[in-house]
Amino acid sequence: MDVALVGNPNVGKSILFSRITGIGAISSNYPGTTVEFEEARVVRGGEILTFYDLPGTYSLAGGSEDEIVAWKLLSEKRPDCVVAVADATRIEQSLVLVFQLIELGYRVVLALNFMDVARKRFNVDTRRLSAILGIPVVGTVALTGEGIDELVDAVVSGPIARFSYVVRYDSHIESIVAELSSGVEEENVGFPLRGAVLKLLEGNELFATRFSEVVQRKTVDVRSIFRERHLEDIEVHIGRDRYGEAGKVASEVIGKLDRLPTTADRISDLTLRPRTGIPIMLAVLLGVFLSVVYVGGAIETGLLSVYHSVFDGPFDALASLIGGQTGVALSEGIDLSLQAILSIVIPYILVFYVILGILEDSGYLPRVVALLDGVMHKIGLHGRAIIPMMVGIGCNVPAILATRVIESKRERLILATLTVVAVPCSAQVAVILGTVGRFGGIWYAVVIFLILLSILLILGRLLHKAMKLEPSSLAIEIPELSVPHPRNVLFKTYVRIKDFFIIAFPLLLVGSIVLEFLAQYGILDAIVGPFAPFTEGFLGLPAVIIVALVFGILRKEMSMQMLVLLFGTAELSLVLTADQLFVFALVMATYVPCIAAFTVMLKEFGLKDTLKVTAGSIALAFSLGGIAHPIISVV
Amino acid sequence: MSGESTEEYLECIFDLTKEGLPAKTNDIAARLNISAGSASEMVQKLSREGYLDYERYAGAVLTERGKAVATKIKRKHRLLESFLVNILGMNKKESHQEACRLEHAVSDESEKRICQMMNNPELCPDGDPIPVCEEDCASCASEPSIELSKMGSGDEGMITHLKCDEEPQKIRKLISMGFVPGREVSVEERTPAKGPLVVRIGDTRIALGRDYASLVHVSSSRSDETFRRRRRKGRGHT
Repeated sequence: MDVALVGNPNVGKSILFSRITGIGAISSNYPGTTVEFEEARVVRGGEILTFYDLPGTYSLAGGSEDEIVAWKLLSEKRPDCVVAVADATRIEQSLVLVFQLIELGYRVVLALNFMDVARKRFNVDTRRLSAILGIPVVGTVALTGEGIDELVDAVVSGPIARFSYVVRYDSHIESIVAELSSGVEEENVGFPLRGAVLKLLEGNELFATRFSEVVQRKTVDVRSIFRERHLEDIEVHIGRDRYGEAGKVASEVIGKLDRLPTTADRISDLTLRPRTGIPIMLAVLLGVFLSVVYVGGAIETGLLSVYHSVFDGPFDALASLIGGQTGVALSEGIDLSLQAILSIVIPYILVFYVILGILEDSGYLPRVVALLDGVMHKIGLHGRAIIPMMVGIGCNVPAILATRVIESKRERLILATLTVVAVPCSAQVAVILGTVGRFGGIWYAVVIFLILLSILLILGRLLHKAMKLEPSSLAIEIPELSVPHPRNVLFKTYVRIKDFFIIAFPLLLVGSIVLEFLAQYGILDAIVGPFAPFTEGFLGLPAVIIVALVFGILRKEMSMQMLVLLFGTAELSLVLTADQLFVFALVMATYVPCIAAFTVMLKEFGLKDTLKVTAGSIALAFSLGGIAHPIISVV
Repeated sequence: MSGESTEEYLECIFDLTKEGLPAKTNDIAARLNISAGSASEMVQKLSREGYLDYERYAGAVLTERGKAVATKIKRKHRLLESFLVNILGMNKKESHQEACRLEHAVSDESEKRICQMMNNPELCPDGDPIPVCEEDCASCASEPSIELSKMGSGDEGMITHLKCDEEPQKIRKLISMGFVPGREVSVEERTPAKGPLVVRIGDTRIALGRDYASLVHVSSSRSDETFRRRRRKGRGHT
């Protein structure tokens, strides 16, 4: 049995999905977290249920790419049951989607999520709602698991009523529906006729092809006649009637309680009012930066000192146990890989992801989107681009996927390019902070971040001008602020950081052992020799740096880990000057997308654009390094 | 202002004389469910007051004055019927009875606003034409509604219509997010650098870009005076 979770954006589908299936789907408190559907199987009473978590959708019109993904699954898979997930605190909006699902003949089970929050505000009569709509209605709290069992029971136990709710449209629309339906065979359409005709009337291209050309032509005529008579498109009237009905139903099942604004409401308002919201936003962003730098730094120092006191002896013993150059190579390889993980992944990347998780779940990010939208338009972007960029500070891969929340392809490409080139991912941040930030002083790092910010603004402006199109406008829901659930934050951090251990660590381990061997047997110098004029002459860096640059293509953090391996010490200040570290960090900050980011870009934008972006970023990185080297040595 | 029974009579005669023939007293009585005597008495009274031309045995026809009153009431009746059926979802029969009662009570201002809200409907639910009003539709349709993008923070109002001439994708997006005629909307904040408006619609808060907001037309629920002032200000912007 196939079951699809469908609902407006940000109603908690993903977290409900995780609860039902036990499979981790990333969820956040902003619309558009899920851009591709996830699936997972659950066995219930001997039956296998396949659940699909779909991207949020307001209508079944397929406007943006995530809506198309949702609709595609619904129309092609034809799930046996659709769980419509609604935010219980605002039922109206979700009912409109439920109406459409019912019209199209889906067997719907309605899950009213966030029941705990709703209960504090008003009484929701789920039984009455179920009776009105003729479908099962279950109140759920996905975070705690309340109502999940009931929901799955309702899914398994089949329909409860023979008739589900039918929305009545105004008389003119009804007569048009009757006229268009006459003589059309339902089997040919593949959907209940009434629902399909309504979709056709709404101008939904995805439905047009289900009808004969005669009907399609008739529809065009009818739509223009309707327009002439009512001076408004028929879809406006259809929408109006659906909202009218939704409002009527909602008012029947919701008993409003008078509610005074709470402290949370007042704080929520302050974060949106420009006069207070902008200072708050700047403080939050600065706080994120400082936390990563200082909390990350403190954890790093602590971890490394513990590590040295515990493992230095055993690794020396290991080296002498195996003996000779092989012993040194092996023991150093393992030792330094562990150190690299402890000094980068755990302190900086982990801290960033925890903070990102808190920001995401608090519902704060959409406020930043709203406040910065005006400014973002100046560089050819949407305020919505902020979220992919923030995600990009974690990792470029999900950031590139997250650009799908942007409707236009052109903006997506600008956004992805800017993210890849000018937004440092957590690995790059760790490299910047862990090299020049640590050994040269925090101001060097700040200068690099400022350079990146200017690149972002200038490049954005240039791309915007080159592509000559106005950025599309913003329409995004702003959720209420809420206190993040530690469980969800930690779970997300775990999912996001898992790759560093599963993929990066073995790679690092093998790479470092191989390198150690090459170094121990004196082969390394022979390999890097030919690149010396470039690295030494142009960038002013030791020739072996080329190895770090090559590993930076695989994974950004490995470039720094390789530095540690190449020089045989984590105290980089002993082998490189602050200026050299600055040039190195600057090059790494804009350098090519890592192999994973490259692959995702390839999938999303095609070979041509991906190669352009890659070549551009290499050229930019080396030009910056080449310019910075002479300048900084003068300064 | 003419009284309720005057309006009832004139409306009835309006219907009976639709084919161009005078209305007989007996037909009037039958239709209004009263005795022929009182019908004849009332017709004579209305004739004296200048609403009717009445000739014994031939019947009554509306004078210009009578026609104006009857048309007005008919307009209100059919407009109300459309409103009751299309917006409130009432069935046709109930709506007719309800409209019969309301038509005498509804003010001209409300009539105008209902007409605007429904975007000047031409036919009532039964398919009969709704008599047109004297005002010019073009000026009226745009008058008490302003673009959502021009409202100040703290302003509220009801959505009258969406501007459908351009960008169907945007209109669809607006509809799907709940911006449909008849819903209440309020502007909470206007963000700097021509950024989006933060609006509240239903229980949902939405950051809406100005070009989206300019497609949504809202009638302010404030008094007409403040409203006109604002509009003049609004015009200054464009």
